Amino acid sequence: MRLFWKLARQSFRLQLTYRAANLAGLATNFFFGLLRAAVLVALYDTRPSVAGISLRAVITYTGLSQATIACLSFFRWTLVMDSVYSGEIAADLLKPTDYFFSWLARDLGRAAASFLMRAATIMVAYAIFFDITVPQNVWQWLLLALSLLLSVMVSFGWRFLVNLAAFWTPDARGIQRFAFGMSWFLSGFLMPLRFFPEWFIQLCKLTPFPSMVNTTIEVYLGVLTGPELARALLTQMVWIVILYLLSKLVLRAGVRRLVIQGG
Amino acid sequence: MRALLRAIDLYRRLIRVQIQSQLVYRASFLFDLLAVCLGHVGEFGTLALVLQQFEGIGGWALVEVALLYGIVSTAFGVMDLFFGGFDPGGFGQLVRRGSFDQLLLRPVSITVQVLGSKFWLRRLGRISQGAVILAIALAHVRWTVVKALYLPVVFVSVVLFFGALFIMGATVTFWTIESIEAVNILTYGGSEMMSYPMHIYSQGLRRFFTYIVPAIFVPYYPALFILDKPDPLGMPSFAVLLSPVVGVGMMAIALAFWRFGIRYYASTGT
Repeated sequence: MRLFWKLARQSFRLQLTYRAANLAGLATNFFFGLLRAAVLVALYDTRPSVAGISLRAVITYTGLSQATIACLSFFRWTLVMDSVYSGEIAADLLKPTDYFFSWLARDLGRAAASFLMRAATIMVAYAIFFDITVPQNVWQWLLLALSLLLSVMVSFGWRFLVNLAAFWTPDARGIQRFAFGMSWFLSGFLMPLRFFPEWFIQLCKLTPFPSMVNTTIEVYLGVLTGPELARALLTQMVWIVILYLLSKLVLRAGVRRLVIQGG
Repeated sequence: MRALLRAIDLYRRLIRVQIQSQLVYRASFLFDLLAVCLGHVGEFGTLALVLQQFEGIGGWALVEVALLYGIVSTAFGVMDLFFGGFDPGGFGQLVRRGSFDQLLLRPVSITVQVLGSKFWLRRLGRISQGAVILAIALAHVRWTVVKALYLPVVFVSVVLFFGALFIMGATVTFWTIESIEAVNILTYGGSEMMSYPMHIYSQGLRRFFTYIVPAIFVPYYPALFILDKPDPLGMPSFAVLLSPVVGVGMMAIALAFWRFGIRYYASTGT
């Protein structure tokens, strides 16, 4: 546990040092947020509310969805893949720590730094430029924090699993691009899931993707209540366990195949 | 004339080598292509589902938006295929590592070398997706001879417009070394923005993309003409014809800036 904490802290500090890159990313996120907001305002036209989401809430949504990008490394994450290709993985596997958990620690550290510099910042910028909604009470804030933490873990499980493809192919980047692409439109990142036809929502719910983005956003907006809310959080936890077990299984099969070239 | 022929020959060789090398891992390549294609299909698919639920956007029906989206997506893909060497992200790396100096030392045109340096066949994924959407949209257009003649002109203009942004973004890295994010906003942000009927944006944003970066004339106004829609923004009627002017003009400016940049380029020393 102490090691876990240390790894997380290290990677938190490392991420904090990329100040210029973070600032630049922030500008892009903000621009895309504005764009999405304009599109959604045009879609709403004269409707005050659609599928239980008010115009004000949907504008907030565009900020939240942009905020998740950095937090979840939503566009690109190839660290495990890279370490397989470079052979660094050999050193990691020799260490008496669990491979999955040491990467999880690092990813949580990275996510925490990204949360401060990117996610929280963009929401502050949004609060300045737009009339946004905020969680109404301490209880909702706490649930939001829990859901956000869970969403990072679900997303990590998925990214880790996808990266393991590197054990089987000399170029897993195509697979990564495909897997990440899927997560964009099945997670409620491009549009709130509630706007889709029922069959599509059901399809999304068969995947872990809504647990990465949609759930956390709906907790923030307060559209989830009572048993629905409990079920959503529980679903997140179940996906973490499933992805963890799958990763374990795939990792074991992969390590058996692994050949490290030279030193 | 001989210099031109030599440049064309060199360009062909550069491209051929790259195509060969990309086809070595055939399975990996096909998967990559499929991934890119499905990614974009999914993106438009989700947009289409939502547009259908909302019954269009800004007075445009789904097939009408599809025309705009199809033109922009296909043209951006084609541009990315041919101008990939100027992609500011990758080009910035070239400058940072000093590899650009190596190119400068060779006794052939630097522009041709950069043009032929990144020819990613996987861009065909986006191009084919865009082409299919465009084809569906075009089937719903009421055609006239003028429209049919103007459409290819518009298409080339959009390609040139995005290519110009790439070249300018690449040139900026001579000074900034890093690729600057503002360029990504213009290229990737621009292509997403131009995929929607642009009258939906706020006045400030619209003014910027009319008078500073005249993106609005490239696909939006011609699309109004092709779809027989009135102009909600009240521009003079020749706005429809500005697409090639902007496309060619932007490219001319970009190339001039590029030459200027090369003349003043001082290596990073790495």
